[in-house]
Amino acid sequence: MLESIDESDKLHLLVMKINETKIKIPSSEITSESAYLNRRKLIQSVGLFSLGLGLAESTFGQNQEIRLLKSMRNENYSTKETPNSFPDITTYNNFYEFGMQKSDPYMNSEMFEPKPWSVEVSGEANLTGTFDLEDLIDFNKLEERIYRLRCVEAWSMVIPWVGIPLFSILKKFEPFSSAKYISFETVYRPNEMPGQKRRILSWPYKEGLTIQEAMHPLALMAVGIYGKELLNQNGAPMRLVIPWKYGFKSIKSINKIHFQERQPRTSWNISAPKEYGFYANVNPLVDHPRWSQSRERRIGTGFFGAKQPTMPFNGYAEEVADLYSGLDLRKYY
Amino acid sequence: MLVPYFLLIFRSLGYLSGLGVNPVETIIHETGLWSIRFLMLTLLITPIAYYSGIGSIAKLGKPVGLMAFFYVLNHFLSYAMIDQAGDIGVIVVDIIETPYLIVGWGGFLCLLGVASVSFKRLENWFNQNRSTISGLVYGATILGVWHFYWQAKVVELESLIYSIILTGLILWRLRISTNRKQ
Repeated sequence: MLESIDESDKLHLLVMKINETKIKIPSSEITSESAYLNRRKLIQSVGLFSLGLGLAESTFGQNQEIRLLKSMRNENYSTKETPNSFPDITTYNNFYEFGMQKSDPYMNSEMFEPKPWSVEVSGEANLTGTFDLEDLIDFNKLEERIYRLRCVEAWSMVIPWVGIPLFSILKKFEPFSSAKYISFETVYRPNEMPGQKRRILSWPYKEGLTIQEAMHPLALMAVGIYGKELLNQNGAPMRLVIPWKYGFKSIKSINKIHFQERQPRTSWNISAPKEYGFYANVNPLVDHPRWSQSRERRIGTGFFGAKQPTMPFNGYAEEVADLYSGLDLRKYY
Repeated sequence: MLVPYFLLIFRSLGYLSGLGVNPVETIIHETGLWSIRFLMLTLLITPIAYYSGIGSIAKLGKPVGLMAFFYVLNHFLSYAMIDQAGDIGVIVVDIIETPYLIVGWGGFLCLLGVASVSFKRLENWFNQNRSTISGLVYGATILGVWHFYWQAKVVELESLIYSIILTGLILWRLRISTNRKQ
């Protein structure tokens, strides 16, 4: 259920909980947490989303109220690492629909209208058709999961997502045994997504998973971050989060889901097939043809924060390595 | 010409909305971009002097070129000392593993050659080898633009514009030198 703004005490408890789980809190994080709480007060008083830290209110651009989401932390699937601050997560990311610079999604996404939202489900499944967001996502069963996110560009973050396991959505459609793969598409609205006016990628953005990957309990359909609805720049109103794959697999603002027998083509693979494979599992041993994937820069570690080694499957090898037993990960990168 | 540099210093001190979420990346990208902009400007000076008929403009080549070198030096040092924390072993491996870094390193060496010639002692040599110098600046710019083009996931507009201008400059240069020989 969606909480109204005056019911945010649970959110406060959640923040306290995040603080408790930290062994050592770097000073930068303390600032961000307090800023976070300040924002919460602003939500209460104004009912509009705005933010301090020198970031202008209008640049967040959401005209609509950002609702708070009630969720339960799933400790089994949450890392104990310190999450990145809300400003880190919402001002620095790739979403080429809004431009190619990492500040572009935050700067250029104010025109985007994620409400109301419907998703077209088609292909090899018993139940297909057009569904409203609320039909797909059970807002009473939201989970919070703190996942690592590793971008193919060798930077990484830790993000407290709110969402529901992807399998719980997909099984509702009763896919046939012929549904070996699932493809996803981002909405195509060049008038609201200025990046789509140039053909830098094959629009609409397309991504795909094998049915086994999609049904894996770690695969999440996210609708929020830090207990709030997703902002436009992060893929509102719903996006995938596949934590053991490079970030570009976690497709944003999804409005089409298709069950199919053959492996789907994906936007980055169409753009540069030798650089971006269908699987795109995080793998420090398989370099991008133009740069190394052995290390990553964790955002928020500051000016002199050293790069850290990248882990196989982004640290989720124990959970997901079985999905790829017998597969040559150098060939199927 | 140092304005972008001072802006970057102000930003690293937290003014003018700072360096953003990934400060190391911002510094490396900004110094790199200005390196290429000044290199392009250096190469544009000769045709500007040629067509405007104001020969004294050509004298600007050296200071603008040195400015480009200054930004390249900052670009390389911020990569080596901040991004790679000054670990020479790591830097060597990183450059070898990363094709666009090899290209960038090549460009840096070209400019290092040009800049070293700027010392007084080598002035005479410089005056006798103008074509070598301009060849090295062309080499550095080609490698620099290639490095810029190659590090991005998709073709960026700015690198595309520089590639087009650079191609035009090379063709112009070739035409001038063939005309001279005839």
